[in-house]
Amino acid sequence: MPPQADTAAAAGRTATASSPRPSKPARTRAQKRSRRAAADRRFGLYLALPALVVVLGLIAWPAIQTLIYSLQRVALNGDTRWVGFRNFELLFKNPDFIHSLWLTAVYAIAFLVVSTGLGLAFALLLNEQFRGRFLARTLLIVPWACPWVIAGIIWKWFADGDVGALNGALYQLGVIDEYKAWLSSDTGALIISVLAAAWRQASFAALLFLAGLQTIPHELPEAAKVDGATAWQRFRLITLPWLKPVIVVVIVINVIFGFMQFDVIYALTQGGPGNATEVLSIFLYQQLFVYTNVGMGSAVAVVLGVVALLIGLLFVKLLYRSGDVTEGVS
Amino acid sequence: MLLFAIWVLFPLYFTVTSSFMTPAEVGRVPFHWVPERPTLANYSAILRGDSTPFSDDAGGGVVASSTNAVERLMPAMGRSVIVGLVVVFINLVVGGAAAYAFSRYPFRGAKIAYLGLLASRVVPAIAIVSPFFVFFRKTELLNTAPALIISYLVFTLPLAIWLLKSYFDSVPKELEEAAMLDGASRLKCLISIVLPLARPGLIAAGLLVFLEAWSEFFYALVLTNELTAPPVVAGLQNLQQFSWTTLAAASIFSLIPPVLIAVLFQRYIVSGLARGSVR
Repeated sequence: MPPQADTAAAAGRTATASSPRPSKPARTRAQKRSRRAAADRRFGLYLALPALVVVLGLIAWPAIQTLIYSLQRVALNGDTRWVGFRNFELLFKNPDFIHSLWLTAVYAIAFLVVSTGLGLAFALLLNEQFRGRFLARTLLIVPWACPWVIAGIIWKWFADGDVGALNGALYQLGVIDEYKAWLSSDTGALIISVLAAAWRQASFAALLFLAGLQTIPHELPEAAKVDGATAWQRFRLITLPWLKPVIVVVIVINVIFGFMQFDVIYALTQGGPGNATEVLSIFLYQQLFVYTNVGMGSAVAVVLGVVALLIGLLFVKLLYRSGDVTEGVS
Repeated sequence: MLLFAIWVLFPLYFTVTSSFMTPAEVGRVPFHWVPERPTLANYSAILRGDSTPFSDDAGGGVVASSTNAVERLMPAMGRSVIVGLVVVFINLVVGGAAAYAFSRYPFRGAKIAYLGLLASRVVPAIAIVSPFFVFFRKTELLNTAPALIISYLVFTLPLAIWLLKSYFDSVPKELEEAAMLDGASRLKCLISIVLPLARPGLIAAGLLVFLEAWSEFFYALVLTNELTAPPVVAGLQNLQQFSWTTLAAASIFSLIPPVLIAVLFQRYIVSGLARGSVR
């Protein structure tokens, strides 16, 4: 295991989010020092300026512009007209949107549970000593390296009604008596799209958990063992509290990824059958690029952005709240 | 352990074996776990740009519009590499400078700027796509590599700054102080002391950014007409009479670079992931 990962996670545990270094060491005369400090600040500003411009131009401006679009009717030729909150009004009266909103919540939660749960299980497994552990860890990284959309394509055919290996395996095991077209049923399509996305993300979660697990000092569980703690007690009282910060981060990342998931669902079902898997991101895509309704699409984007920000705030709150976080969020 | 192996490997194994089969074999019941007569036809079809390598046994229908779609994969992979490299370069230079400033020379308002940067990581790229679309349409940059490079900075730059700052923070600043007493300028300190020491961080950040750029699908889908590899592979799905076996080979092609990078540079990537997330 790389030593960097250990120190990295350990540093993450102790350091606060942003602790700017104190400026340069003290000089003999106060005046000289203050001039030097001013020069330091200027130097810092020059270094950071290009990045700040890029971030303002590429994130702040489009975000504000999206907000503006959401209050407008935007015609294809570029003509715009202010319509107030009309887009939002229409949106929340649209049963398809409400359906999509609920579906996204269900999808995000299912995705969160499957990917985080499997990730934790894999990490605990790969943290044990066994033959071929290195190979297993290398395998673990492969799904993570797989682009989301490719994961979607692979799973689409994996679950395919005619050629899919899923059918092949279940059929030969005697679980099903005939090949099933999993993706043509509403729940089937939803389940497969959760699994396909979680297939990639479980690896990511496991990689992070594994890095966290490796920072647990050996003495801790060993001493507990000597004192007669059971495996479950060791897990609950040592491993879980130790992993708490990592768990919180993984949960937040997974919720956000679940809410924003587009690639996998686009590749698998494009929102179908019907609108059974039409989550917010797909709904947004259709409004913007199928119906070319920029105003309405931007209103959806604003809803999506607000949800993401709320989750982000929750993340900050959870991460910096004292007390046991894992109890509340698991 | 068994569950782990099945979960990770089964879909991949299926894709790999399929890519060595003919369409007739892959659909057979009971399922063929090992290709009977492994064929490289799928791979060579992609290299040759032939979308119907098995037109005889697929039914032999006339294939119209799909003929040149497969041809696009290899050039698209090349463009993916270029876009990825440019994005990495910009991130390391622009993001590295900013990260160093945040780490060592906090200017007025640095704290707020940094917090804003962290907050921007939460803004979903999907949600702010429409201004990009309108802007690139106006400036006639739609379907060009610069459009992708510019828009990819949205989600890579905050990540790169965050990651690099944490690596710079771990370089002891006593070294720079000593060098400065010896008369080295601030820039010289950065270039000849800090950068070499933070090399693992630069590598990790570069790799993660490259992988993100390689995998990106949404912006590539809406801002370009299949300019990079992921949308090309996804586009193949829509073709009539395009068989899964050839698609599997195309998927494998598009998987080779990221998987190779991830496996070879595992150490850097895991360390970068751990740092980038747990902070």
